[in-house]
Amino acid sequence: MIKQIYKIFLLILTITFISGSIFAKSTVTWWAEANADRDPVFQTKLVDVFNASQNEIELIMEFKEGLNDILRTAMIAGEGPDIVETPGPSYVKEYQEAGLLSSMENYSWQYGWQDLLLPWSYSAGVFDGEFYSAPKTYETMIMLYNKTLFTENGWSVPTNLTEYESLAEKIKAKGMHVFSYGSTGWQPTHEHLAGMYLNSVAGPDNVYKGLIGEKKWSDPEFVNAIELLRKHMVEEGYWSGSLENYYALGWDDFHAQFGSRGAAMMTIGTWTFGTTVSTFADITDDWDWAPFPNLTAKGGDPSYLLALGTTLSINGSSESSDAAAKVIDYIFKNKAIVLDMANDFNFGEFVIPLKFTADDFGDNVNPKVKRYLIDFAKQTGQGNYGYTTWTFWPSDPGVHIWKDMEVLWAGDITSEEYMEDHEKLWKKARKNNSLLPVGSR
Amino acid sequence: MKLLLSKNFIAWYFIMPALAIHLLVVATPSILSLALCLTDWNGFGKINYIGFENFYELFDDRVFKKAVKHNIIWTIIFLTVPISIALTCAYLLTGIKKFQLIYRLLFFFPYMLASIISCQIWKYMFHPLHGIGAWLSSKGLDWISASPFTLKETSLYAVAMVDGWHFWGFLVVVYITGMYQVDNSLYEAADIEGATKFQKFRFITLPMIRPIFIFTLMIIIIWSIPTFDYIYILTQGGPAYSSEVLATHLYSQAFDRFNVGYSSAIGTLMFVYVIIIVSIFGILQKLGWDI
Repeated sequence: MIKQIYKIFLLILTITFISGSIFAKSTVTWWAEANADRDPVFQTKLVDVFNASQNEIELIMEFKEGLNDILRTAMIAGEGPDIVETPGPSYVKEYQEAGLLSSMENYSWQYGWQDLLLPWSYSAGVFDGEFYSAPKTYETMIMLYNKTLFTENGWSVPTNLTEYESLAEKIKAKGMHVFSYGSTGWQPTHEHLAGMYLNSVAGPDNVYKGLIGEKKWSDPEFVNAIELLRKHMVEEGYWSGSLENYYALGWDDFHAQFGSRGAAMMTIGTWTFGTTVSTFADITDDWDWAPFPNLTAKGGDPSYLLALGTTLSINGSSESSDAAAKVIDYIFKNKAIVLDMANDFNFGEFVIPLKFTADDFGDNVNPKVKRYLIDFAKQTGQGNYGYTTWTFWPSDPGVHIWKDMEVLWAGDITSEEYMEDHEKLWKKARKNNSLLPVGSR
Repeated sequence: MKLLLSKNFIAWYFIMPALAIHLLVVATPSILSLALCLTDWNGFGKINYIGFENFYELFDDRVFKKAVKHNIIWTIIFLTVPISIALTCAYLLTGIKKFQLIYRLLFFFPYMLASIISCQIWKYMFHPLHGIGAWLSSKGLDWISASPFTLKETSLYAVAMVDGWHFWGFLVVVYITGMYQVDNSLYEAADIEGATKFQKFRFITLPMIRPIFIFTLMIIIIWSIPTFDYIYILTQGGPAYSSEVLATHLYSQAFDRFNVGYSSAIGTLMFVYVIIIVSIFGILQKLGWDI
């Protein structure tokens, strides 16, 4: 009798073990930067929805303070999450070179990701010929302006350098600052302006040539762009009235200054949409945006600068890489979820560069933001785009562009010397094979 | 067995847990970190041995040279300004009988504030839109046209002032504790001799608190080298590297540029400097200096 009970017990145990193994869910972990406002949205609108949509995979999203440092330590130790979130291609490059990421090339072919993503954003994830990082958020630099103020004064968005400088004089004559912006708390803010001027003055084609090594950064086109920025910043005080004010203002300050007519315009990235919408919610003035103008004498079409905010990759030591790829695929194939979440973040986060069309948007999306997303996809799809320094510059020249910009602005070096130093760092980066993917133009 | 249970060994047993933790979480990582100075590690992948290349590059690095100069200036400022203010205030406080605790608390209060709070207070005080300068300007007095943290001529001194403001209260408490240890009969004798307040300070107080005074000099010299938080929060080493110090340069190399080996070389030089300072004080002590 005891023997029989023992046999039955063993049988049950075996069946439980086998069925458990067969029907067990794969677990996919994903670490993201903690943010009190965003985390609940990710949990309810992505994680819970994904987990409820199927029975194979359990997605667990963990929100970490100071993600970059924690992630790097874990990855070097052969640990870390299955889905690796980085702040941009320069980090992907380091992880990929160290062999800490899995290639997603096969998944990309299997799921057709190349057809879903905007071409430039896909190219930015191709390292050594294989797809390693998928874009999680894209952004660009734009020019916001106080629409009411512009209408009152009969001003219009400039289309060339002469109009740009003439508008600046008119704004200053009214006792306002031309642009509201500042760098306190985030020194790399300078690179936003440097990228805009390099593309708008030297032109995106020349910047592309600089990136692939067909032109030197010390060539006159680039030197002139940086010199014009120096003149506008230091001599003309376009940004917040003076270089010192620009250094002293932070995020809340420059939004408040823009909202209170302290400045007529603001140069900023599209991550501002949320704050700008709320700044103007309680005032009678209205705002609008435009791409940063072409600053050549002749003028021409402005270009959107391409930028990736965050990226997603698969950990090289992940045991659930297939499941992790399925999670990424689920996101890419659910435009509605992406748009709904991005809308919750006022299009400052989770703006995945999918090929959006007007039909994809609901009525809840701010029309100005909707106009941007559609126009960006259309223009960049036609090849009308420029390049941001934080997405396409290797780390050493990428830091130089903003860190040493202050040395130029302080008058310690000339624009020529600044760009010669920049070229030297690019040469070194090329020699060390540290270049980031640019894609073809 | 007897030897293992001897008094000398028992002391080691008690220190063993702390020593083990120290070796594991402080000593080993420190040694490994020092070893990185001879490599080109970027913080992610393969570690390649490159000999002393980082050091050769370091001595050509103009930002490094600037940072060394700023650290020297910083040390000189802290060895003079907060110490003189703290000594004066501590001495004056010893003569106050009523509400002395309140004064001590007031002086010590900035030291209890987190650096981020102290920095925000001062940043707002000099804010161009709603700081003192803007207020004075609204009254027609254009005395403070820009925040001193944003001018390359003043940024280092402005940050040192904020850090000094937070630090000198600590020195007051340390000095006053020392001053209370001084035998009162010495002051009574000096009073009988007709000594002035300054003479009593110069010839009684200062010599009697010398060990504490020298100790504070030593910690200031050592603490001035890794100074980081106030500079990073207020200026991030700018504008134009005008407030860059060794620790901010090290941080930028390691975390902005991924030059971990290079930043480790900076850390190694900082470590060597501290060892030299501690050794100098040790040697002076051996030579019979009362420190």
